[in-house]
Amino acid sequence: MSRITRLAAKIPGPDTGIEVKKSLCTICDPLTQCGLDVYVADGRIIKIEGSEEHPFNKGALCAKGAANRQYVYHENRIKTPLRRVGPRGSDTFEPISWDEALDVIGEGCVSAKSEYGSESVIFFSGYTKYFRPYLRRLARSFGSPNYCTESSTCFMAMAMAQKLVFGAPGGPDMANTDCLMVWSSNPYHTAHGRGAAIDRALSRGMKMIVVDPRQTPTTSRADIHLRPRPGTDGALALSMANVIIGENIYDADFVSNYTYGFEEYREYASTFTPERGEDLTGVPAAGIRAAARMFATAGRACVMPSASPVVHHTNGVQNYRAVFMLAALTGNYDVKGGNFVEPPSYLYVSGKMKTQEEEFENPKPLSEMAARIGNDRLPVWMEVANGEAQAMLIPEQLRTGKPYPLKCLIGFGMNYRMWPDSEGFLKSWQNLDLIVNTDIFMTDTCRQSDIVLPACTSLERSELRCHAMGYVQLSSAAIEPLYESRSDVDIVFDLAKRLCPDDPLFKQGYRACVDWILSPSGLTVDELERNPGGMFLKNPIMPPERKYKNGARTPSGKIEFKSKILEKYGERPGFESLPVYTPPKYSPEAAPEMAKEYPFILNTGSRLPMFIHSRVNHLSWIHSLRSNHPAADINPEDAKSLNIAQNDDLRISTPFGSIEVKANPTEMVMKGVVHMFHGWGSADVNQLFEWDYLDPISGFPGYKSSLCKIERIGGARR
Amino acid sequence: MIMTRAIMTDMGRCVGCGACAVACMDQNDVFPEKGGTSCRRIYQMEYADGHGAVIQYLSAGCQHCDDSPCLIACPTGAIYRDEGSRANLVDRNRCIGCHSCALACPFGVPRYDADDKMLKCNLCTGRVEAGMKPACVRACAFGALNFDDPNKFQDDKESRYANGLAGAFAKTR
Repeated sequence: MSRITRLAAKIPGPDTGIEVKKSLCTICDPLTQCGLDVYVADGRIIKIEGSEEHPFNKGALCAKGAANRQYVYHENRIKTPLRRVGPRGSDTFEPISWDEALDVIGEGCVSAKSEYGSESVIFFSGYTKYFRPYLRRLARSFGSPNYCTESSTCFMAMAMAQKLVFGAPGGPDMANTDCLMVWSSNPYHTAHGRGAAIDRALSRGMKMIVVDPRQTPTTSRADIHLRPRPGTDGALALSMANVIIGENIYDADFVSNYTYGFEEYREYASTFTPERGEDLTGVPAAGIRAAARMFATAGRACVMPSASPVVHHTNGVQNYRAVFMLAALTGNYDVKGGNFVEPPSYLYVSGKMKTQEEEFENPKPLSEMAARIGNDRLPVWMEVANGEAQAMLIPEQLRTGKPYPLKCLIGFGMNYRMWPDSEGFLKSWQNLDLIVNTDIFMTDTCRQSDIVLPACTSLERSELRCHAMGYVQLSSAAIEPLYESRSDVDIVFDLAKRLCPDDPLFKQGYRACVDWILSPSGLTVDELERNPGGMFLKNPIMPPERKYKNGARTPSGKIEFKSKILEKYGERPGFESLPVYTPPKYSPEAAPEMAKEYPFILNTGSRLPMFIHSRVNHLSWIHSLRSNHPAADINPEDAKSLNIAQNDDLRISTPFGSIEVKANPTEMVMKGVVHMFHGWGSADVNQLFEWDYLDPISGFPGYKSSLCKIERIGGARR
Repeated sequence: MIMTRAIMTDMGRCVGCGACAVACMDQNDVFPEKGGTSCRRIYQMEYADGHGAVIQYLSAGCQHCDDSPCLIACPTGAIYRDEGSRANLVDRNRCIGCHSCALACPFGVPRYDADDKMLKCNLCTGRVEAGMKPACVRACAFGALNFDDPNKFQDDKESRYANGLAGAFAKTR
């Protein structure tokens, strides 16, 4: 083959000058990242592929990851640090040097600290996640308890539900289970490596139950698909418990020896007959019975939870507690093939290795600092979440200045549209003295900031990740950072020089800090750098089963059907110690008057395969899969009865606002539900929610069920 | 000798994620804003029958037919059959943008770029010759796209079917 042909086909080799560099994709961040083969010629990326040796993606990519080249070279990249020169939000900026930008931020934070205290400075991380241990240490070393992340709307509430029941969360052991119950997740569109793992397990005979209001590739592969109305998961789980207890197919030995509160739970679940379950959830009683029997009798069974769909409800934590209790009821907690507990290693992932990440992140105890944002309203978050502030309460504290004023907001990958009543949140920013956002692209949030810092993509820097299969990777930079952009970690370390100059670890630099964190594992930066595509651990740590026998990490020391932590707040509505089912605050059941005018359930943010939040909305490769004109997915029967056709203009309204979008009728959606993807600048669905439409335990917004109406714009079709 | 290989779509595995379409554009430097189109296109088809709905996804592309209507219809000989790979390729210099191939192709495959030159899948012949898979196949996470001898693909499918049938029969004994 001629060199010209090989060049045209982008074949790597000495003759073409094309090199393959190993990197990681962090466009989405499910914590288990896909390995990338980056084809580079003359310092420029010409092609992206998945790394075949990477145990998670095994050479494959999703549409978003395959679009990395467009992502890296998009014209909307921020090229230099910027300082606002006009009024806030006027989108008038001037380029400044890195030193100047960092000095302005340093001086702003230090002066806020001396006048109002360190707690007046908020440190926030959106995507990505790799720099979080360093950002959290920066906040703590500076003295601020207000380190918070997008986990204020994702993942954490699910972990809280598990911690309240089990003490230590357990993940689904898919490789060894006989029955996987996927509760509101569609990995075929969100984390393809996990979808491929399900395919492998199904081909060896694993049974699968999928609970999801939508119809997805995951539900189409299921033995049983249960389709509850959004927000009724708790009632469904309690009805399944009713069957499992009533038919005496629960694990009586486990329940009597290792659990607390069973008798009250049994009594409560006894009221949730499958027939009542059908009334409450819309799932046929026969389906509830069949799923309960399969889960309890298939052998080893486990629950695969999702990070946000179930907990994006005003009753989310209680609902997920009821779901996880099914694993307890059947003795499937902390056993092979069940919800198995592995201690976290690094960046939320149980990677079969030991690190001192937690020690690194917490140079000073929280007890020496002021109370975190959300402290008074969310005592359970403060007790069982991982030490973060609850960012959903920032708007209220900004507006009231109580219990103390907030003055600086130092954001990395921050997007104000993550908050309910997003425009209201933006208005509250007038009470801040300094707003900083670090991002790859000039986003709407950057345009509202005072200082904007250009971050580079994951292909232009290195990051450390570990994986559940005992694989660890310190990726390499495939190309030099474009323009004046820098790695977020470098920015954090330069801020540390200004905010906490005496911090003994920051002073030694990033590499030394990674070595320090890794030291219990025996791994070093040097060794990892010699394996830029990643490596399997030589001695992966395999923890034993049934660690709860030595005492579960709950107040009772047992698995709790009745939460001793929630018991302390029993008089507050929503904090019941049993997994009490309450319909979503704005649902046909709980708000029948409102439902007369707003008859549809509004469900926002359910994943589509080509989008991840708003991160790739600007790429033409992505638009070629689904238009960049925001569209709502609605059921075809609903569309027909409202005389709505494909691509008609549609108005979605709640009592709090309205947006205009296109109509996309699809059988994916159940009747009576409207699915609207989030994060669109021209149709921001989060404006349609009140700021305090929150779960009382976790503070998570109820994005997956409110009430709305939809109408065709432009009058009736003739 | 290069064995005849084709891109086969396993309809039971495709989830409509679109990775193949983007990987194709990345490989071939196709940019929709400049009038380009991926050589793989994603369809989501829905069949409601009163008992619920079936949603079927499909990644569609050129079939590289043996007896190719597009090749026969092309008046300038721009479409030709590559002897080694047996892919149907387009010589851009000879294409006059007459769209005869569009009229002839029963699958709706031919598309036209900003210069009105026919644009279609080239079976990644350069990659294949270098021992690599076509870009779309390489990206697919679920084995929905396979590049192999069609008989090999059928062997796999038949053995899966045989396994299922034999297993079900064995359980009845």
